[in-house]
Amino acid sequence: MSTPTLNSAGKKRGRALGVTLSSYLFLLPALVLLFVFTVYPVLYGSYLGFTKYTALQFGTGQPPQWIGLENFRTLAGDDLFRIGLANSLKYLLVVPVLQIASLAVAVLVNRSLPGITFFRAAYYIPVITSVSLAAVMWDWIYNKDGTLNWFLKSLHILGQNANISWLLNPDTAFWAIMFVTFWRGFGYYMVLYLAGLQSIPAELEEAATLDGASRAQTFWRVTVPLMKPTILLCSLLSTLSALRVLDEIIVFTNGTGGPLNSTYTALLYVYKKSFGGLDFNYGLASAAGLVVAVLALGLSIINFRYFRDASVRA
Amino acid sequence: MNKRLTLTLALTATLTTSALAQQPVQIEFWTWYLSPKFDDYIGGVVKEFEAQNPGIKVKAVDKQATMEQELVSAINLGSAPDVVNLWSDATWKGAENNLLLPISDLMGRDELNKLYFENPLSNFEANGKIYGLPWYGSLDAGVMSYNTELFKKAGVTKLPTTTAEMMAAAKLIKQKTGAYGWAPAVKDPQGASFLGNFVAEGLPILQGGKAVFNSPKHAALLQQYVDLYKADVIPQDLLRKEAFQLATELYAQGKLATIIGGPQALNRIKDNNKDMYAKTGVAPAPLGAAKLQTGSGMDLVIPRASKHPKEALAFAKFMTNKANQVAFAKIVPIIPTAKGAETDPFFANAKKSKDPIERATGMVGASGASIKYAIPNVGKTDDLFKNFNDNIEAAFLGKKTAQQALNDSVTFWNANMKK
Repeated sequence: MSTPTLNSAGKKRGRALGVTLSSYLFLLPALVLLFVFTVYPVLYGSYLGFTKYTALQFGTGQPPQWIGLENFRTLAGDDLFRIGLANSLKYLLVVPVLQIASLAVAVLVNRSLPGITFFRAAYYIPVITSVSLAAVMWDWIYNKDGTLNWFLKSLHILGQNANISWLLNPDTAFWAIMFVTFWRGFGYYMVLYLAGLQSIPAELEEAATLDGASRAQTFWRVTVPLMKPTILLCSLLSTLSALRVLDEIIVFTNGTGGPLNSTYTALLYVYKKSFGGLDFNYGLASAAGLVVAVLALGLSIINFRYFRDASVRA
Repeated sequence: MNKRLTLTLALTATLTTSALAQQPVQIEFWTWYLSPKFDDYIGGVVKEFEAQNPGIKVKAVDKQATMEQELVSAINLGSAPDVVNLWSDATWKGAENNLLLPISDLMGRDELNKLYFENPLSNFEANGKIYGLPWYGSLDAGVMSYNTELFKKAGVTKLPTTTAEMMAAAKLIKQKTGAYGWAPAVKDPQGASFLGNFVAEGLPILQGGKAVFNSPKHAALLQQYVDLYKADVIPQDLLRKEAFQLATELYAQGKLATIIGGPQALNRIKDNNKDMYAKTGVAPAPLGAAKLQTGSGMDLVIPRASKHPKEALAFAKFMTNKANQVAFAKIVPIIPTAKGAETDPFFANAKKSKDPIERATGMVGASGASIKYAIPNVGKTDDLFKNFNDNIEAAFLGKKTAQQALNDSVTFWNANMKK
């Protein structure tokens, strides 16, 4: 009697093993791609950060040369990298503004009003506008003879003789470019929040209303807690995007980093050191990239800590 | 049976070997920003070369903004092109990083000196070797294309012939018309174009291997430009955009009265604004105190990783020969750098034309011998130019005095320049 039981247990184990193996087999193509295009570059890039590896070595077929923390010492003494890192961190200021504004507008357009689809689509247009096209448009707006000055003058915020070149002034260039990031990202996050809002069961909000909760109470005690996973996703994505901002900086400043380097970011430093000409300094660029990656990791952990739990508050 | 089999195998082997031997060598040629406008010209030269060299096939590919990055990637991936269109800074960097073959080792100095002018050749020299065959060139000043209506409105009757006169005319034009009169080189994202203003005035950049562009005369010259900028006599966007590009843009909009440089900008004006082109006049460009015509140019290099350097050299020589450079100059106002091109009757005849582009081409087309790059090969150009531009910008934005900006930059250059 015991033999059949053992056989059946063995069969079960065998079946379970088969399922596990076949699952991994299905995952294999994705794992291979992940390894080739993510894991390996991350590991090799991190290794390069501790080496001296330039185009000259590459041109002569020499391998990277291990130099320990030398690249990080160079970065610590490089004013341009410090400026870049400070500006990248300052760029994070766009994150809360972007998240609050897109969540607020998502709440507004999450209603069945006539023509609401038009507004939802309109907010999304900047997301699908290429950065170079956006740059041309904003260049006109920020020009000293541009729309922004005209608008501010007509509101008497600026004097009639004031002509600010928003992208040329070291005090305004950074904020001007950051606003373009806000403008480009706003619709994207709004759509994510909208999807999050529409996935909240209507009964929960209705129940809160029946229990006598005001609209504000329903929003803060029911909607926001249930939106936490979406808020986590959006704030994580926007934090990483802000820290790695590069497109806008390159197109608005021709890759120079703006007036008095006021818009020079850490990723621009990485780009310049690795691909900014034929002066390829892969080692130093990888070290700078590693510093940015560690910062991004730290900020991601903070985001997870704050927004991880999704529960309705009593 | 055995004999027949052996014979068949031998015959097959012979035919295969001979077919392989006759298979043409394919070389890849990268141009820079020449497609689609010059596809016919490039294609024509390639076709002619292939007809004269049946064993070589040429695949022409046009690269644009990311050319340098793509070149290094292609070398990295083992698929390097064989002939590449570069320019002085990129050639120097490529040579210093051992990515290019020294052309002077492949064909000898004597032959190079016989075929090309000395100045353009020296623009592609690094460590005592020539790394590029000079191709088409341009002059920094070249010609002055000007809006005759704006000049008339401003009351400028005598065309400026010196930098000082140009500054005076620019002030007058701005005051009387509201349009800018001049867009001089200030800050260039790819280089350090303000250094060219020192050279034009006869002020040295280097002496005895040291940077010396911080004398009181250098500072006074920089201050003159800063004053023009602060008085809004020259466009503020010169701090963000390359001067020639900005000039072409503003001139077409009627917001700038002159374009100083090669006549190539006129092609764009003609294509985009025919009315503006109709009121455009052409005159010799105003020159600085040194009366120098500095310039720059393109070259053809051979990557060290090329699999067919012999064929690549043959093609590069053909592409840059006198006949093909003159033919190129006939369709676009470039300056040939091959010896003998200057005597082609095309340039003398073009000078007499009433059409601005033809006249301009005639005025500068025969000056290939004088194309000398203003900025010396100092190595580490990315860092040095960035530092120079940052300091110049600080002076323009009033964060440093002209003297302080130049002092700071000279200190950095002397600490970081290749020794």
